[in-house]
Amino acid sequence: MAFEAKSEAGYTIVSMDETRLDASISEPFRLYLFDQIDSGSDQMIIDLASVRFMDSSGLGVLVAALKKMAGQGALKLAAPQPAVEDLFNLTSMDKLFTITPTVAKAIEG
Amino acid sequence: MDILIVEDARDQRMMLAVVLKKQGHQVFQAADGHEALDVLAQHPTIRIVISDWMMPNMDGIALCESIRQSNIGRYVYFILLTGKSDRQAMVDGINSGADDFVNKPVDFAELNARLNAGIRIIELKAALENKIQTIEKDLESAAETQARLLSEPARIQQVDFNWYFKPSRILGGDMFGYHALDEQTLSFYQLDVAGHGVPSALFSFTLNNLLREGSSASLLKEALSGPPFYRIKEPDEVLVSLNDQFQARPEAMLYFTIAYGIINSRTGSVTLSQAGHPPPLWLDARSRTIKKVGGGGVPLGMMPDMTYSNVTFDLQPGDRLFLYSDGVTECENSEGEMFGEARLESLLADTFDHCVADMIKKVEQSIIGWTGADVFIDDVTYLVLEWQP
Repeated sequence: MAFEAKSEAGYTIVSMDETRLDASISEPFRLYLFDQIDSGSDQMIIDLASVRFMDSSGLGVLVAALKKMAGQGALKLAAPQPAVEDLFNLTSMDKLFTITPTVAKAIEG
Repeated sequence: MDILIVEDARDQRMMLAVVLKKQGHQVFQAADGHEALDVLAQHPTIRIVISDWMMPNMDGIALCESIRQSNIGRYVYFILLTGKSDRQAMVDGINSGADDFVNKPVDFAELNARLNAGIRIIELKAALENKIQTIEKDLESAAETQARLLSEPARIQQVDFNWYFKPSRILGGDMFGYHALDEQTLSFYQLDVAGHGVPSALFSFTLNNLLREGSSASLLKEALSGPPFYRIKEPDEVLVSLNDQFQARPEAMLYFTIAYGIINSRTGSVTLSQAGHPPPLWLDARSRTIKKVGGGGVPLGMMPDMTYSNVTFDLQPGDRLFLYSDGVTECENSEGEMFGEARLESLLADTFDHCVADMIKKVEQSIIGWTGADVFIDDVTYLVLEWQP
């Protein structure tokens, strides 16, 4: 599993080389995000462009990161693909996150 | 330890046997690979094989490969005897599954040390197997407990309830139930704790206990000081209380999705609220159509101070509600394609002439036909209720 973080316009942008964000990689992904938060990233964008499928464990990790930030800073989700977007709709994730169609949109506002 | 010596040179075999017997081992002997396989089959207590390489009929490497490929139900520690200069034989031997090797002529102190290493590994493996067995037994007994917690298919106050439940692996995080709250109101729910295994199952047990609580002051009812001394809480109120009570820690995101509803068994009026659960399907018997009811809602345990909404509608006699977990629609076929909502809905559209039990069977057969197996990656649960006044 490969996760990657880069800095751009004051944001830490996390992307991954994975098509499935599920139970098999949710724990390493959680540790990776927590590391980013512990090392001071408080403006984060998670780029989901590569993810074709997300299960409840994957969703749990995104919310875990949000809970860990505990209201300090911002966590945005960018570029959800159709199946992931369906999951976000089913679980009303727009109530918890700013969700944008692209990373560029997330940076803009 | 029971040890098998495989060596075609009779004098060398006898000498090895004598030495090993002196050290307290039970020793078996064979003159080639074929004989060795027979002896192994007859004596399941043999855990170590010391074998020469060059032998007629079946040599040491072939014997080792044959043992590794067979299903003898136990691990056999394999020590290969090789010529001193034959480094390639040692590499070939270990590549074909040998655990260790000893140079010929045999140095008995070295053989003894290597035997002890083998015995340590065998004992570690036995201890591990023992522990796994204990854990599996515990899991099985937890699964039995879970099965006992499930409500029996039943007719309660003119409402028929029936279901299908298949946990992934042994233990699942899905749960469902239905109970009378008073003489005309029934509650029903289907929930799905994220993840699988022991933590999810234990959490689902806890939730199940809370949701079947029927006393006057509870999660589901509010106590009043005047008659009738209780008020049945609206489904959205129940979800808000559950959400406040079970906030997950970021390190262990135990959250759950749920569809919770109440039905008036006299009028057929249903009020339902959901938190991130697939929308229940309303099977309208008169128009023979299928409608999704409600939807959305942040799963419970994710964030405090969430609100949920109710949806209210009236069933007609013979109407059904189909509540399900995402394990149903996310079942994949051999190409990785999911069963999906559209397929589920069109399947249910063909069940209006079936009784509830047959409908449940039909959906089960369809999912098993889709996946090609009756072991599922996720829990598969659906709960069906029919109002039949």
